[in-house]
Amino acid sequence: MREIIVNELTQAFQEMAREIAHYLPRLIVMLIIVLIGWLIAYVLKLVARSLLRLTKFSKLSENAGATQLLHQAALPSSTELVSRFVFWVAWVGFVLLGVNVLGIAGLQEYISRFFLFLPRMFVALVILFFGLVAASFFSRAALLAAVNANYRSSRLLSTVVRVLIIVFAFSMVFEELGVAEQTMLIAFATVFGAAMLGLAIAFGLGGQDLARKFLEKRLVQHNKEEREDELSPL
Amino acid sequence: MSLKLEAGWYKNAIIYQVHVRSFVDANGDGIGDFAGLAQRLDYVQELGVNAIWLMPFFPSPLRDDGYDIADYYSVHPSYGTLEDFKSFLSIAHDRGIRVIIEMVLNHTSDQHPWFQESRSSQDNPKRDWYVWSETDSKYRGTRIIFLDTEMSNWAWDPISKSHFWHRFFSHQPDLNYDNPAVREEMWKVMKFWLELGVDGFRLDAVPYLIEREGTNCENLPETHAIIRDLRKRVDQEFPGAMLLAEANQWPADLRPYFGDGDEFHMAFHFPLMPRMFMGLRLEDRKPITEILQQTPEIPPSCQWCLFLRNHDELTLEMVTDIERDYMYDIYAGDKAMRLNLGIRRRLAPLLDNDRRRIELMNGMLMSLPGTPIIYYGDEIGMGDNIYLGDRNGVRTPMQWSGGWNGGFSNADPERLYSPPILNPVYGYQAVNVLSQKRTSHSLLSWMQHILGIRRSSPVFGSGSIEFLYPANHRILAYVRKLGKETILIVNNLSSAAQSVELDLRRYKGNILIEMFGRNIFPRIGDLPYFLTMGPYQFYWFRLRQI
Amino acid sequence: MAEETLLSDDFLRQLINVGEVDIVVGLATHNNAKTIEPVLGAIQSGALKCFPRERVAIINADGGSQDGTTELVAKASIDDLWRESKVYALRTLHSISVPYARTPDPSKALQTILAAADLLRAKACVLISPESTTIEPDWLQRLVRPVYHDNFDLVCPIYTRQKFEGALVRDLLYPATRSIYGYRIREPYGSEFAISGRLVTDFLGRGIGNEDWGKMGPEISITIMAVTAKYRVCQSFLGTKAPSPRGAHDVVSVMRRTAGALFSSLDSNFPVWSVISGSENVPTFGTATEVEPEGARINRRRLLEMFSTGVAQLEPVLRSILSSSSLSELQRIAALGINEFDYPAELWAKTIFEFVASYHKSIINRDHIIQALIPLYRGRSLTFLTENRNGSAQNLQHREESLCADFERLKPYLLEVWADRK
Repeated sequence: MREIIVNELTQAFQEMAREIAHYLPRLIVMLIIVLIGWLIAYVLKLVARSLLRLTKFSKLSENAGATQLLHQAALPSSTELVSRFVFWVAWVGFVLLGVNVLGIAGLQEYISRFFLFLPRMFVALVILFFGLVAASFFSRAALLAAVNANYRSSRLLSTVVRVLIIVFAFSMVFEELGVAEQTMLIAFATVFGAAMLGLAIAFGLGGQDLARKFLEKRLVQHNKEEREDELSPL
Repeated sequence: MSLKLEAGWYKNAIIYQVHVRSFVDANGDGIGDFAGLAQRLDYVQELGVNAIWLMPFFPSPLRDDGYDIADYYSVHPSYGTLEDFKSFLSIAHDRGIRVIIEMVLNHTSDQHPWFQESRSSQDNPKRDWYVWSETDSKYRGTRIIFLDTEMSNWAWDPISKSHFWHRFFSHQPDLNYDNPAVREEMWKVMKFWLELGVDGFRLDAVPYLIEREGTNCENLPETHAIIRDLRKRVDQEFPGAMLLAEANQWPADLRPYFGDGDEFHMAFHFPLMPRMFMGLRLEDRKPITEILQQTPEIPPSCQWCLFLRNHDELTLEMVTDIERDYMYDIYAGDKAMRLNLGIRRRLAPLLDNDRRRIELMNGMLMSLPGTPIIYYGDEIGMGDNIYLGDRNGVRTPMQWSGGWNGGFSNADPERLYSPPILNPVYGYQAVNVLSQKRTSHSLLSWMQHILGIRRSSPVFGSGSIEFLYPANHRILAYVRKLGKETILIVNNLSSAAQSVELDLRRYKGNILIEMFGRNIFPRIGDLPYFLTMGPYQFYWFRLRQI
Repeated sequence: MAEETLLSDDFLRQLINVGEVDIVVGLATHNNAKTIEPVLGAIQSGALKCFPRERVAIINADGGSQDGTTELVAKASIDDLWRESKVYALRTLHSISVPYARTPDPSKALQTILAAADLLRAKACVLISPESTTIEPDWLQRLVRPVYHDNFDLVCPIYTRQKFEGALVRDLLYPATRSIYGYRIREPYGSEFAISGRLVTDFLGRGIGNEDWGKMGPEISITIMAVTAKYRVCQSFLGTKAPSPRGAHDVVSVMRRTAGALFSSLDSNFPVWSVISGSENVPTFGTATEVEPEGARINRRRLLEMFSTGVAQLEPVLRSILSSSSLSELQRIAALGINEFDYPAELWAKTIFEFVASYHKSIINRDHIIQALIPLYRGRSLTFLTENRNGSAQNLQHREESLCADFERLKPYLLEVWADRK
């Protein structure tokens, strides 16, 4: 009995040792890959950063309003963000490569899927980025136009514009990623409908005011003594 | 001895204006004479003119350069005798040159025996040959012409103790044309000269013959009646003789002097001349086209007389104040150049002795409708002397050669009636007939050339004119037409090269032949005819349908 | 070269016919048939009266008029067939028209006119607004004479105005231009001005009309170029300015063309303006004419409302542009009633300078920065109106001067916020 146990243990140990002896080189290889991957990713990050600086990417994103957006979200600068993104994508890629070396069945399939998924994710991120930029730009444009045209509910209008564009951008992102397409379609339709309803109500409420003013102007005008001069700028 | 008097000869004439005194002196007394003039008719003929207009050569105290006549039936002794005149006339006619003489109808000299008699007593028979008045307040609405010298049109006569009327200098009393005796006497004078053989008269100061209270005493109907009467007598007894009016008036006011072809044959176009100078300097055809548009049609037998310069100042009476100021500033910067309402300078100095401008101005003179007059000396580009008084600066001796007195006279230089021009640019050493005859590119040679071309076609004298109005306002372009002959004239008034598009569609299919070089220019098509022109350049094209 | 593309064959043919000129009068039009006739009449009689001997040409750059404006311009020509018994013209006066585009573009219109003036070798080029119905024949002389006879390169106008007119010029353009560029040019954005031939050539050569700020406000860009390149600038009193029938309703585009161009010009001209402190007078010709004051019928309550709604609604935008202290000051006065309302000059100057700096750094879209300024400008105008409601002309002048002094005093602040890397 004891012998059997010892035997089994020895065998198990031997097996483990054999297994370890079998895996150890792979593990070391993996670690080396991960380590080298980190180094390469780090260099890539540096290269990306200086490249972006050279091409004045920050100016571009500033002009697009992205900088402001990131600032508002307490995120680092656009250049930093992109270079970090490059770093992480590269490193994760190397880590997965390393894991692949371990030759764990099952995992390999996921890893190859990750690499197939990578371009789509990149596209989705770009869409999201520009969607957010556009939302910020157009909502501000709407706000300014509304304020300067002396509309009362300018903020509401601007928010509606922003939400609409963001929702639209997200729906595109999800579609690109292929996640829960049906759900997203329904969600988008719901939000869009709600927004339209909101707009309709807003217009109705605002229009009431407008209609009143219009009628006043039409009917009560001659009683009004004070003619208004517009302030002439030039 | 007399040229055949053909009707309308004056329309195709080119007139050379000469002062006997200034042309050439044959007897060495320092003053030009008829004998000298007769000798130099060769030159006049070679130049290419076919008529001479002589300035007054009658006996006179010469206080107004002979326009103050003391005897209408004779020749001033300095210029020779009546016989000399007759022989000159016959030589001129032999060479095909007609002679136009000056006739001063309006006034005489105060030295004239008629005036001497008239002033001698209130009841002299010749008393009412002149215009007398007890006061100097009659005819108040009349302007004074010689603003620089005269204060009034009336002058006090201490002998007969009354005032006499004078439109010009106070030593030139006006004849009284209300008196039939005066009219008859003046016709007798004209008849005298016509019988000698002269071909026409330039009648001086015609608008002023008659005075009427309440008018400006110019261009009165009574004056026209007198002219019509004179013309009738001329036509009856001397058909073909020509009457030329000197009346410095606006074209519309001048028009009546042509009547229905029964008053003057010709009249000077005074307002055009300053505008040609002005257009040139403004580099703008507007003044020229404007005045010609305002010029009324004249009867077919009549003709305008055109000139660039003459023995008087370049008169600025017929321009607006803006124009006069401009002309003074541009052409008479030195106050000494101004006289009365005008500029007393010759052609070449006025144009800064610029050959191109002199040629352009002569080109326009020869091609605009009318009979051109060339003032003696301007054909060689003579200068003037603004430091001689009155208008004497443009009446200096003709410059024949670089020798003694410029070839004008053998007298001592001090004896000459006027110092010749001596300065290095315009003096007779530099500018004279002899030297210009030697080169084919001299101004004189060029003048001979252009006069030859002018004589080659009756279009210039008798043709109609139609202005083209190209959008480039520096280009003055017109078409002269007579019968089948059509000539296109294009002048560049600018000192810079110009391009111009002419609308010649009406003449489509014609080719252009440049008249100076006889070269062919492209055929006229549907497109605007495109020409480029050098500074102050002008073209004369004969249009030919081939 | 810019002018090569600006000049069509037909325009070139017209220019050949015009030839070399002394003075070019430029008119940029677009459907101005209603007002252009008196303007052309005044130009014509001004030219005949004051410049009878000079060669004058009227050149009209038209942005696709459909109402016969160009025909009216062509009719103003004086040529040999021109008949007007009352007026005498020594010369031909060409009046030509060129369509530079189908839609109006002020920058292209100006460039077309200047290119023509350059080609015609004009000694002076004067721009006249086809809407200036109050124009007198004398204006031409007042604008051109300093260039033509006194060797100036730019003549800016000074108009006589009602109190409620020209608010933007008075409150923003004049003090800002003056403090930044150091010249006391009363109307840096005049609709009438004259420039010399050499400035025209230089302006075209530098291609400023093709740069962003030149395109934005072609008129102000000439003024700025003239002062930065040290050309000789002067001013001339003209007379009453006709209020533009269009400007009042389109504050946004007016703001873009004026303040936008001014702000935008600062980037490339930094070395010039950053070293200037204080301001110097420019020579001024003529004398001011008094204007009969009309009662201003401005609805002050509405102005206040527009200001305070603007401040409230634009809060997130203003927060990114302004410093927090300025913003909270603005929020404080936005809460005031109509009678207590006061937008102090110093705060206004700071506001403008912070806007300038944010514009320079493109904190947000530049056009948005310009638009965000509008409600604040309305607030400042309200204070100006309140201050000068019953004041005399002298009083008004005094206040203008003190506003400018505040701007000049705060210029170091501008340099500070300009350099600050927020």
